[in-house]
Amino acid sequence: MVSHGLVLDLVERVGTVARHGTVSVPLGEGDPEELAATVAAWCARSGNELVEVRGSRAVVRRGRSPDPLAELAPDLVPGTRLWMYTNFDCNLACDYCCVRSSPQSARRALGLDRVRRLATEALAAGVSELILTGGEPFLLPDIDELVTVCTAELPTTLLTNGMLFRGRRLEALRQMDRTQLALQISLDSATPEQHDGHRGRGSWERAVAGIRTAHDEGFRVRVAATLPYEQTHELAAFHTFLDSLGIAREDQVIRALAHRGAADNGIELTLESLIPEVTVTADGVYWHPVSADHDDQLVTRDIFPLQDAITEVRRRFTEQRAQATAAAQWFPCA
Amino acid sequence: MSKPLIVGAVAYTPNVVTIWEGIRDYFAGSASEMDFVLFSNYGRQVDSLIDGTIDLAWNTNLAWVRTVAQTDGACRALAMRDTDTVFRTVFVARTGSNLGGLDGLKGRRLALGSKDSAQAAILPVHFLDRNGPGADEVELLRIDSDVGKHGDTGRSELDALRAVLDERADAAAIGINTWEAIGREELMPGAFEAFWESPTYSHCNFTALPRVPEERTGPWLERLLAMDWDNPEHRPILEMEGLRRWVSPKLDGYASLVEAVKEQGISARW
Repeated sequence: MVSHGLVLDLVERVGTVARHGTVSVPLGEGDPEELAATVAAWCARSGNELVEVRGSRAVVRRGRSPDPLAELAPDLVPGTRLWMYTNFDCNLACDYCCVRSSPQSARRALGLDRVRRLATEALAAGVSELILTGGEPFLLPDIDELVTVCTAELPTTLLTNGMLFRGRRLEALRQMDRTQLALQISLDSATPEQHDGHRGRGSWERAVAGIRTAHDEGFRVRVAATLPYEQTHELAAFHTFLDSLGIAREDQVIRALAHRGAADNGIELTLESLIPEVTVTADGVYWHPVSADHDDQLVTRDIFPLQDAITEVRRRFTEQRAQATAAAQWFPCA
Repeated sequence: MSKPLIVGAVAYTPNVVTIWEGIRDYFAGSASEMDFVLFSNYGRQVDSLIDGTIDLAWNTNLAWVRTVAQTDGACRALAMRDTDTVFRTVFVARTGSNLGGLDGLKGRRLALGSKDSAQAAILPVHFLDRNGPGADEVELLRIDSDVGKHGDTGRSELDALRAVLDERADAAAIGINTWEAIGREELMPGAFEAFWESPTYSHCNFTALPRVPEERTGPWLERLLAMDWDNPEHRPILEMEGLRRWVSPKLDGYASLVEAVKEQGISARW
């Protein structure tokens, strides 16, 4: 039996706060499930929001919380971009790789059939851009086919270290659709020392050569640097160097080193601090590409249907933001 | 650009700030900009309307009746919420009481809200006299919480309902808005049943005095009436203020309160 005073208390207490403010209301005596159901029913009827039931109290927000998805810039809404880890093996073993890729890593390839289905379902799910990454995608013998099934559906970006554009791999590159595909090549510095220090001797020179090759082949080329956070503001020389390679300023991407995977240090990225970007690997769907090798950010093992995975990521993000907002409002200073 | 119209409202909940900032922003950039002033009670607001501190007042029905009385009817109502045209008082008792109607209250105790609440105190007495056994035949338990705000907080009505639950009263008289807020008879099965609902009457309106000419209030009113429930930018304000659209005032809806105030000798202030 629910205490009838509960609903009266809800009306009175919620009436004392401003829109989007929260109040904690004691549930009173009775069956906890029945009490929580009464609060939920009142909230649904009155246009307010039950944030959560904590022990013997319910936290209620006046009105509905703003939609966190609506507050994001359109290109940041989860599901706008779809990341696919084509494989995890790599010809390099960078000491900060967020997914611990190396020549010894198992391939764990998504494979052509799944990539094709993902590209098709992505279009239907409202995704506007596909991003292929690894590992090093150009290690895959069918990389040209993987890219082709993606570019047939949506604009696509292919992340690579740019070091393998020779022989059949160069031929594979030449088969790709320049109107739909951009290449994003990793380069960390204007001179070899820093880049090679993390990625291996000689890698800078080959990456720069790869940038020139891709550019000469008529592809749009983005260059992405991964730098310790404290260096991300001293970039004049690097930008000047990239300008000399013909890379447009909007295609010069600087990323802070993340404390993930093989990295010993870097910025901490958690579920709570990351705006999700739906990321599919052979092992499942992850919250963000930077955490695609970490179970703490595994969303589901079920890759298909893709729409369900996107919906689940959005649901968790919305719920998490609502709880964070409520928690911020509860935090007492005295 | 003419001087903004200054609208008075009573701050009965923090949400009032959000509501009036939203309304002010809606008028911003138009030919009839406005700003607002919040008062702690309706008595002060009516005084300020009459002395010219504010140009318009968002008045309860009792504040309107008092403004009419104090200006010899010179004031005019500009607009009200659609919900203000069909306001009612609901008499409720514990489920299974089977009071059957107002006559069932004879010899029983009725909990009333704040003495300055038209819906929960003044009009219930009027309805007892006109439609029931007469207020003299009923024991009245008056719960004067939040006097000055004309029942806007709803607190006294919730306290009246608590009195019924605690068996300190047999029934309570509350506004239809409070009845809706507690989910009528649906959210608390076995708690309350309504046994009489009053005829409709008018509640709040925007009140102006002749000092503010229609050249100034006209464009403002036109803009107000253009608020659109289907416009996502307007909708939150309308939801918070409890209406779907602004409408022209229904002045005959104040007749019952005018009579009640006169008959009960209700104070001209508060």
